[in-house]
Amino acid sequence: MRAPMKCTGLLCAGLLVIAAGCSGANSRVATHINQEAALTGNLPYNPLAWKVITSWIDEQNGTMSTLFGNDAAVQYARNNSGHDYPSGAVLAAVTWSQQEDPRWFGAGIPSSPKSVEFVSVIKGADQKPSWSYEKYEGSPLKESSKAEASVPGDRAAWLLAQRAAVMP
Amino acid sequence: MATGSPRAKAVVWIAVLLCIVFIGIQFIRPAIENPPVTAEIQAPPAVKQILRSSCYNCHSDETKLPWYDQVAPAYWLAERDVEKGRMALNFSEIGELSAAQQKGLLFEAINQIQLGVMPLPAYRAIHPGSAVTPEQLEILRAYLHPPAPKQAAPQAQVQAADAQYEAWQHAANAIPAVQPEPNGIAFIPDYKNWRVISSTDRFDNHTMREILGNEIAIKAIAEHRINPWPDGTVFAKVAWAQQPDAQGISHTGAFVQVELMIRDQKKYAATKGWGWGRWRGADLKPYGRDASFAHECVDCHKPVRKNDYVYTAPLAGQGTGGQQ
Ligand code: HEC
Repeated sequence: MRAPMKCTGLLCAGLLVIAAGCSGANSRVATHINQEAALTGNLPYNPLAWKVITSWIDEQNGTMSTLFGNDAAVQYARNNSGHDYPSGAVLAAVTWSQQEDPRWFGAGIPSSPKSVEFVSVIKGADQKPSWSYEKYEGSPLKESSKAEASVPGDRAAWLLAQRAAVMP
Repeated sequence: MATGSPRAKAVVWIAVLLCIVFIGIQFIRPAIENPPVTAEIQAPPAVKQILRSSCYNCHSDETKLPWYDQVAPAYWLAERDVEKGRMALNFSEIGELSAAQQKGLLFEAINQIQLGVMPLPAYRAIHPGSAVTPEQLEILRAYLHPPAPKQAAPQAQVQAADAQYEAWQHAANAIPAVQPEPNGIAFIPDYKNWRVISSTDRFDNHTMREILGNEIAIKAIAEHRINPWPDGTVFAKVAWAQQPDAQGISHTGAFVQVELMIRDQKKYAATKGWGWGRWRGADLKPYGRDASFAHECVDCHKPVRKNDYVYTAPLAGQGTGGQQ
């Protein structure tokens, strides 16, 4: 009478298999919105409502940045290789600290925001441009520096020099 | 419990019959052969040991099934898993690939373990000790992480990216003539004007990506209706080669590809409610050879099926405030 016992054993194993296949909720997969990366605080514009120009990754500092632009800026960047943005153009560089992507070992994704930088181009009646640079840091994001000049500072110039990512 | 009652007799007969069938089916045995190992994966012994104890039964030419897998019908299931498993990934054969390619496959392997997909849950349940323990997982991860520090991109790569950029600027605003994928999914040139829902630094394959969403996707995020995503949702995932500069900052280099996921529960029921498309290179060549390519997409997204087959956790906050 050992064979029938084996049959029952197999049946049990089968049920176990089915149970195992159905359970197994994995916390890495659980649905969520990345609230940690939200841009809190009072920003003059919401860069996330704008279009993307390009992005970069600073591995040493563990950060990743996306450069956004308002329509005037995006239109210019995608059609010009120079850095002479028109009046009214605003660039916004959002820099996040990076976290491991829980769903993909081998990838980094945005964690909390480290800074948001805005560069605005204003041209007066004489067509002479001036630039303003504002930086927001902390949590919630607060203005940490602001400069206005007829020549963009080093950081503003660096941001203005980032060419658009190819998007055919 | 009077022995000899018709009912008890019937039970005995059924049991006997079942056992005869059970013994009979043992003779139906497709063979599992272990061909000689030609090129085993090259990895440190500690890494190999983990793969050996948790994965080799299905992913190598050194399959050693325990006795309870030798019994049909369990044997039949095992045989199928071994055949399909070896086809998907065979650690006895990948040793001849480049070191980078072998590591690429290990990245994928670790992902399958982390997401609870491998070893197959059913196999894990009945094979004690086959699950990868957290300590073992750490050993695997430490082997691939941290990645080697980035070197400035070689000149030839920079020049190729520059040429691609120049050509793109030249063709500005001209909508390219792009062929649809063989499953009928058409390219959507407007993807570049959608909002950003996240970005990824894929250091495992040296690319960087922006994930964009159409208006329906953005509205769904604002309303927290992202599982399932509503019909009409479209994501575009745009990938570029990472191009590190002399300071170690990686910029978007050459455009690699754009991929679309289009939600229509009815129309795309056969591929989990999503229409899948991928266009590669600046000339946006459709990826699939025939319509069945979409199964490759679905397979890769299967580990996140409980999240509606979507990997990206969207950023909060695209919905507030418009232009200016
Ligand atoms: C019981 C058999 C079995 C075991 C044990 C097993 N796998 Fe698999 N694996 C499979 C099968 C079958 C497939 C093919 C899946 C399919 O075709 O849907 C597969 C596919 C894969 C894939 C490819 C996924 C894809 O979709 O391309 C990877 C990677 C993988 N397994 C990794 C592992 C790792 C790592 C282990 C050990 C920790 C492991 N597997 C253990 C059976 C197994």
